[in-house]
Amino acid sequence: MSTPLTNLGRGPRQQFGLSIGRVPFRLQTSDKQLFGAASARYAAFTDAAARPITIALNNGATPEGAPADFAYEFEGAALRAFSHGIRFDGVRNQYALDSLLRVLLSWKLLGRLGFLLHAATVVRNGKAYIFTGRSGAGKSTVASLSPEGSVLTDEISLLRREDGMWRAYGTPFWGEFRAAGSNSSAPVAGIFRLLQAAENGVEILRPMAILRALLPNVLFFSAETEANRRLLEILSQAATEIAGYDLAFRKNTTFWEVLPS
Amino acid sequence: MSTPATVFWQKNPALAWREIDGETVIISPNDSVMHELNDTGSFLWKNIDGKKSAVELAELLLENYEVTPDIALSDTQALLEEMSSRKLLVTVPAIGGVSP
Repeated sequence: MSTPLTNLGRGPRQQFGLSIGRVPFRLQTSDKQLFGAASARYAAFTDAAARPITIALNNGATPEGAPADFAYEFEGAALRAFSHGIRFDGVRNQYALDSLLRVLLSWKLLGRLGFLLHAATVVRNGKAYIFTGRSGAGKSTVASLSPEGSVLTDEISLLRREDGMWRAYGTPFWGEFRAAGSNSSAPVAGIFRLLQAAENGVEILRPMAILRALLPNVLFFSAETEANRRLLEILSQAATEIAGYDLAFRKNTTFWEVLPS
Repeated sequence: MSTPATVFWQKNPALAWREIDGETVIISPNDSVMHELNDTGSFLWKNIDGKKSAVELAELLLENYEVTPDIALSDTQALLEEMSSRKLLVTVPAIGGVSP
């Protein structure tokens, strides 16, 4: 969705609606170049959902008044969340915009029983298999070994608890494998911590071990105590309710043979 | 142990923590470091409320686990000192106030 708004003297202000993991946003900006880049980058996640979270992108001086509920700065770009809306300022390119959007999404997911995870997600037989691990653990390898169209994301997965069950969503925050992700979701089959090995094998993890596997790979940017408490509550629930495994895998498609269905 | 016996122990109020699977995980938001406590550590953690000294906590440990009084006290003191060094606990003087 792209529609011109009022003219503020810096060119027409435009807006673009997108939704990631059913969290709706509306970007508003008169920055023509950035608008074009954002429209292209998030095209697959275009959405005109009702009551979106409005983001004023590079829209001029910061208003005086109440302090932000949440703030984050990244290489000169600043995110500030106020009760009346969100401001992104000093955003020079789509990569900075992408970073602030991840930060904002991770914060907004706290109120929606969700979180962002460094993980590749592959859908097989209608269920989402989530492969997590540190950089180099094999997320992109798993994605590259999976059939075309089955990869929700090879970099950052979004998990949410909805109607008593966990779902995984694709995100536009793509990694090195694919230039485009999938704007879709599936119920979670399990979380698999990747360990490259000579032989395939799975070992079931206890909830504490699942939590231990999740924590270093969760994207979260707030040092505020209450936010961290809420995040830990959500992750503990996920670790208790989602099956988790250590997956030792060879770098070929045979690892699927040892995964629980 | 360097801490006076009259000192009470309290959880650092800035921490996030949860008990899961009989164990406790503690996150310090400032540095995102994760700390884990085993069964007895979790037991002590649950009983640390700003109103108990090391001796009182050791007595609780003694009542609930099969340990000798000496070991209960030495293990309790060691754990409190360890958690204090990691800024997971603060001490509360008997006269009031909180000191790091």
